[in-house]
Amino acid sequence: MKTDDLIASLALEADRPRGLHRTRGALLCLCALAVPVVYFVNWMGMRSDWPQVLGAPVTLLKQGIPLALTLVAGAGALRLMRPAQARALSLWPLAVVAAIAATLWLWALLRTPEAALGAAFSGQTLAKCLTAVPVFALFPLVTGVAVLRRGASTRPMLSGALLGLACGAAAATGYALHCTEDNPLFFITWYGAGIAVSTALGTLAGRFFLRW
Amino acid sequence: MSERAETEWSAWLRAANRGDSASYARFLHGVTPVVRGIVRAKAFGLGGDQHDDIVQEVLLAIHAKRHTWREDSPLRPWLFAITRYKVIDALRKRGTAVHLPVEDFAEVLAAEAAPEPLVQRDLDRALAHIDPRAQEIVRAVSLEGANNAEIAERLSMSEGAVRVAFHRAMKKLVGASQKSSRGAGQTETRKGHEK
Repeated sequence: MKTDDLIASLALEADRPRGLHRTRGALLCLCALAVPVVYFVNWMGMRSDWPQVLGAPVTLLKQGIPLALTLVAGAGALRLMRPAQARALSLWPLAVVAAIAATLWLWALLRTPEAALGAAFSGQTLAKCLTAVPVFALFPLVTGVAVLRRGASTRPMLSGALLGLACGAAAATGYALHCTEDNPLFFITWYGAGIAVSTALGTLAGRFFLRW
Repeated sequence: MSERAETEWSAWLRAANRGDSASYARFLHGVTPVVRGIVRAKAFGLGGDQHDDIVQEVLLAIHAKRHTWREDSPLRPWLFAITRYKVIDALRKRGTAVHLPVEDFAEVLAAEAAPEPLVQRDLDRALAHIDPRAQEIVRAVSLEGANNAEIAERLSMSEGAVRVAFHRAMKKLVGASQKSSRGAGQTETRKGHEK
């Protein structure tokens, strides 16, 4: 086909293109959260001492670190939906949050006696934590990929990774409302593992579904 | 490319997004030379005909993703980002097509070993030009994959005679097919003109 012919046929399709529908996308993601939220409310529930624990620095960080990751990574994934914005993307806040988490983890490691390390790492609810975070993350991840496909990320794998990170961190934020394991050696290690799984899934999804 | 181009292009694309086909055509015609320039610079290793294919792929991508341009933001960075992405994508596609490992196609290749009806028909037509014994030899070799010894036994000829007969038959066939493909080539060109 000649380029001029192609242009002529494309020109016939001039119309108001359907936009990115960010609000609709956000609503879709909220709908995706419904399943984990219903499960949480019925079968998990808030920890009994919830509002008070926010007064202690460690438990505040337990909520705050994943929440910050959610916001920064989510904003980055949305930004990447438009081409030409990949360069303006700044990911240093992610590094700051990661550094805070690493510092907290090291601090806990240093002040835990060697004999208690095993118990600190394995906690009481390891299996539940390692299941809940990635599984909760799956729901927004699937709808998130559908939303991002409307965009045109020039870095599909990075988009997918940021989406996976945001979903995993959101799941961890939610799960932290229930989880009573307050040793950073436990929650940073295993929330981190769940978030890493979700990020890896997101990267793969980006590789296969966000290219255009 | 001047500031004027930028303002002009964004005005045209804005009008296109309100249903103005003429503006959209102007916009696409306006950006095509620029896109072609980028394609030429980045895909210099590929032939000119491939360049046109890639230019068209870029235009299609611009069309499919035109809603990702914010009307109040500069157009050129958006356009260049899409072009760069699609050119790299096109190069990767063409690059991997050459380096695909043959094992991945083992099944496909095996499936094609049986003679296709079209091959059979073309061969029948070509074979009409040569004598029946030579026909049988060619058929046995090309369609059944028989070797000279088997054919010699079947036709009660010596192996050497089979080889000579096959060689002569092939020469005739090649001559005949060259004649017919020249004819086919002419029809192709005519079709190309009509398009």
